[in-house]
Amino acid sequence: MAGVVVKAHFKRRRMVKVVAANLFRHLVQGSSRSWVRNIGSTAPALGSMTLLLVMAGLVGLTGFALYNLDRVETAQASVLQVYLRDNATPDEIAALRDLLTRDPRVASITYTTKAQALQRAQTMPGLPQLAGATDSNPFPASFSVKLKSIDDVGAIDAIVRSDVAVDPAYPTSYDQGAYQRIQAVLFGVAVAGISFLTLLGFVAVMVTVNSIKAAIIARRDEIAIMQLVGAPRWMVRGPFVMEGAITGAMAGAIAGVVTFGLAATAIQAGSQGFTQFAPGVTVVVAAVAAALVFVTGLFLGSGSSMLGMRRHMES
Amino acid sequence: MRPILELNAVTRTYGSRVALDEVNVSLERGELAFLVGPSGAGKTSLLKLINREIRPTSGEVWVDGLPAHEMKTSRIAELRRRVGVVFQDYKLLPRLTALENVAFGLQVCDIRISDEEARERSLDALEAVGLGDRGSSFPHQLSGGQQQRVAIARAVVSQPPVLIADEPTGNLDHETAWGIVDLFEDIAEWGTAVLVATHNVEIVTRLQRRVLTLVEGRLVRDQPAGQTGRMAWLALS
Repeated sequence: MAGVVVKAHFKRRRMVKVVAANLFRHLVQGSSRSWVRNIGSTAPALGSMTLLLVMAGLVGLTGFALYNLDRVETAQASVLQVYLRDNATPDEIAALRDLLTRDPRVASITYTTKAQALQRAQTMPGLPQLAGATDSNPFPASFSVKLKSIDDVGAIDAIVRSDVAVDPAYPTSYDQGAYQRIQAVLFGVAVAGISFLTLLGFVAVMVTVNSIKAAIIARRDEIAIMQLVGAPRWMVRGPFVMEGAITGAMAGAIAGVVTFGLAATAIQAGSQGFTQFAPGVTVVVAAVAAALVFVTGLFLGSGSSMLGMRRHMES
Repeated sequence: MRPILELNAVTRTYGSRVALDEVNVSLERGELAFLVGPSGAGKTSLLKLINREIRPTSGEVWVDGLPAHEMKTSRIAELRRRVGVVFQDYKLLPRLTALENVAFGLQVCDIRISDEEARERSLDALEAVGLGDRGSSFPHQLSGGQQQRVAIARAVVSQPPVLIADEPTGNLDHETAWGIVDLFEDIAEWGTAVLVATHNVEIVTRLQRRVLTLVEGRLVRDQPAGQTGRMAWLALS
């Protein structure tokens, strides 16, 4: 027997190249092969994670649109439209303007003539037909009164609606409680979206944890030997985190493409109409959302793997 | 000089059952000792304490200067790199060749070891256990004795100061078992402390090495090398 094993001295190559090659083989190649080998047990995790990420992407885009909508609504809600009688005299209109200008709660006033109102209506979806349906101009002249505080809209409305220059049939745009109703609806939509995503996220994490458990069970002998010979913990866990990251990245990539595709299609199909309902959502925003979906998938996959291992691999 | 392996007043309980009761054992470098006793005497528990698979309920376990009894989970790998382990069922990876099995044990412990170095050292280890020409064989192509030799090569390839073996000859025939024991003697001669848990009375009796006898968790006899003692525990088996 060549009894030289224990006493022999071997050269230690501490070169970065060797470490990098070993890391690549152990973490990247090893986990990729294992991922392919365990695709059957990984498929449910991949599916549920992809579904979650697509939903997250779409809910995220919807949330972004709602946020923009809220900002627009808030800005619009502090602007009171005061509609003038068609036969109001210039003096009556000037008196009303003076009244509003002197009020300290008013930030600014803009006057829109009947002709300007008609011109604006012709640029809005659906209104050109209405504008062209009659020979006369049905749109009234108006004051756009921007208030310093949204809370003062009701008080200003009460002052102007009895003025002689104001149209008695439809005096202002003020709708008591409309802004609060929009806020309540937006809040409800946000809560529902977050709850749905949380539930879906929980399911995706649990399914991924289970798929990692299956991978751990499939390789339990290898893991046991690694632990017994003294492999560092990161060496034992690394390939599983990588496997989870691969699953997450795959799910993220698929979901990112789907999210971008759906958003881009909707943007194109909706054209002007769409931008009215989803303000701020552009192709660039959709691309950013897709990238975020991919990164989320990466973290979700590796995070779920770490969670699965913490429970099943402690010595 | 401090012993390479030291168990001081070690007690280990599982619920109300006492597996080891105030056990004191120490092993020097290059010492080969057998651990005997009836089934359930605590042999495997003692080996698991050395490898920190379990913690003692009380007492101290020192391996090459490291306190296994109070080691954090994050440092266990450091301890295990100092303890080679051999099992009755070999625990080889079936999809790897003999050479790859040995190299696997080496490379997962030290990421700085290159493929060439791992191959070189693994081949040396296989030659040392008499399997230099079977490196490319898969475990299923080897006999039980050969598989155990590969497992031993894997256990010693990183040159640990301590080697523990749990019934390493349990699945082997008489002649093969003696070959494995010869190998343990060689490894001890090279300077490694070897502790072998076994039921094989013939080997223990004929070899006249140090024998530690456990009965119901207590170390009832510590027979020095060169003596032949009665195997009173056999009556309990």
